[in-house]
Order: sequence, then C-alpha cells, then structure tokens
Amino acid sequence: MADLSNTETSSSINRDLSVRTRRQRKPKKNLIPVGIGVLVVIVIIGFLLAMKSALLGFFWLTGIGFGFILQKARFCFTASLRDPYLTGSTSLTKAVLIAFVVTTIGFTAIKYGAFIRGLPIPGQGYVVPISFATIFGAFIFGIGMVISGGCASGTLMRVGEGFYMQLLSLAFFIVGSLWGAHDFGWWKLHFMIEGKAVFLPDVFGWFFALVIQLLFIGLLYILADRWEQRGQKQG
Amino acid sequence: MTEKIVDALGEACPVPLIKAQNAIKELAVGDILILQIDHSCAMKNVPEWARKEGHNVEIEEVDDGEWEIIIEKV
Repeated sequence: MADLSNTETSSSINRDLSVRTRRQRKPKKNLIPVGIGVLVVIVIIGFLLAMKSALLGFFWLTGIGFGFILQKARFCFTASLRDPYLTGSTSLTKAVLIAFVVTTIGFTAIKYGAFIRGLPIPGQGYVVPISFATIFGAFIFGIGMVISGGCASGTLMRVGEGFYMQLLSLAFFIVGSLWGAHDFGWWKLHFMIEGKAVFLPDVFGWFFALVIQLLFIGLLYILADRWEQRGQKQG
Repeated sequence: MTEKIVDALGEACPVPLIKAQNAIKELAVGDILILQIDHSCAMKNVPEWARKEGHNVEIEEVDDGEWEIIIEKV
C-alpha cells in the first residue's frame, strides 16, 4: 500500500508546493481498533441471532457480506446505467452484466435442482405478469435513482459510509416502499393482472432458456463494449 | 498556470462529475482543477471520465472519507 501511494504522489502533475501545504492535514486516526471492535460486535450479534433462528444468522452474514463487497467494489447499479451516457464508460455496466450471468446460472441450478427432485421450485412467486406498468415503473425508478444519487442498495451503502445527505433518500425510500406495499393490491388488480407471466423454462425448456438468456446478456455485453470503444475514438 | 478549486462536498453523484465537466471547459491547457468530494461514487466516475478525456489525474485522501481529485487539463 505504501508503494502505491508513493508512486501516486510523485506522478506527472507538478503543483505548487503551496497547495500541498495550504491545508493543514489532520493526522488520520488509526481505525484498526475500531474495525476489530466492529468485527467482534458483528460476531456476537451473529451468534445471538443464530441461537434464535439459524436463518436469521444466515441473513445477518449474507447482508454484511453483500454490503462489504458493494462498498469495496464501488459497485453501483445507478452508475452502471448512467455512466455510459455521462462519461462514456461502461465498466460498471459490464460488471452488472457479469453479475447477471452468475445469478442466471446459479438460479437455474437451484431451480432445476428442485425441479428434477420433484420439489416445488423456489422463488416462483416472483414470476409475475409483465405489463406496461413494469416499463413505466422502471422509468420512474430510473429518474428517481439518478436524482437521489443511488438505487436502493447504493443508498443504504452510502448512508453506512457516512454520507448523511442520503439519509433523506433513505427516509423517502422507506416511505415509498411502505406506501407501495400498502397499495400494492390495488395496482395489481387494475394494472398488472392483465399481463402474462412468463417463466422461460416453460416456454423453451430448461436448457434453451438458459442458453437464450446467456446469449442475450452476451449481446448486451458486446454492445456495452462497443459503446466504450466508440467513446474512446471520439475523445 | 492557474488552479481552480471546485467544492463538491456534500454533493451526491453525479453532481461532482457534472461540476468537473463544466469547470474544465473554462480552463486552459496546463491549468489544474481541484475537485473536493466526499461521495465515494465520485471517486470512481470522475477519474474515469478525466482519464478518458486524456487529462492527468491524481487522487488524494485529505481526510477520512474526503478526497481531492486533481485534474491537469491536457
């Protein structure tokens, strides 16, 4: 780590020394003891939850793992859709597409595993009709997440990082979710029920559903890559 | 050679990026833009955009969770 910061400060930009010394730097606090303390608390809470119910303990661990990766990777669903337009960069778009590939294969394996053993396929409750409500809702959500500076996971992660302005986003995110859940029945009855629920393996068979979905993601990946190359030529 | 400091503290993505894009337009080649940010997301997309445009970029962590992105216009 020390090497890396050294090479960075001695890079090609030569600034006035005054800039460097202008801001008296506070000595940074050593955060390692805090980190160890937090880790201990996480483990203790994990044990307490696991004693109450194993599933709760599992959720606790996966939730923390998810947040940790999200923060360290600077992974952001908003940026994956916004940056191609703003900066011409599609690195996050491609990362999201790769994540889709992984989840596609993983979920297919889980569902197919249940299917061949004759068990009820998990998660089928989420196969819901698609309609214009889906498109319209996605559009509104897209506008909202660009204005508020993050999607659901991004907002949660940044509040945890200490970016308090997004507490505002979080508050209204909760209000909106509760409101949506409250009126969900009405929306379902009036808008969503007319659509048709499509579960790809029912239409194409398990193998071809997987292949078709992966091909489609692959196509998007190629498009994203092309978009980035195109931007570079112009710049 | 002039230096311009742009304060984007407390601004959520993508505001810091837009501020940087607007500020750099007014600078001459060789000038330096210092963008102050505290939104971790801007740590990623601002340098990415600037490097793509061909500018020189440096990032300094000024304080815990507070950074200065230094961009030299090329």
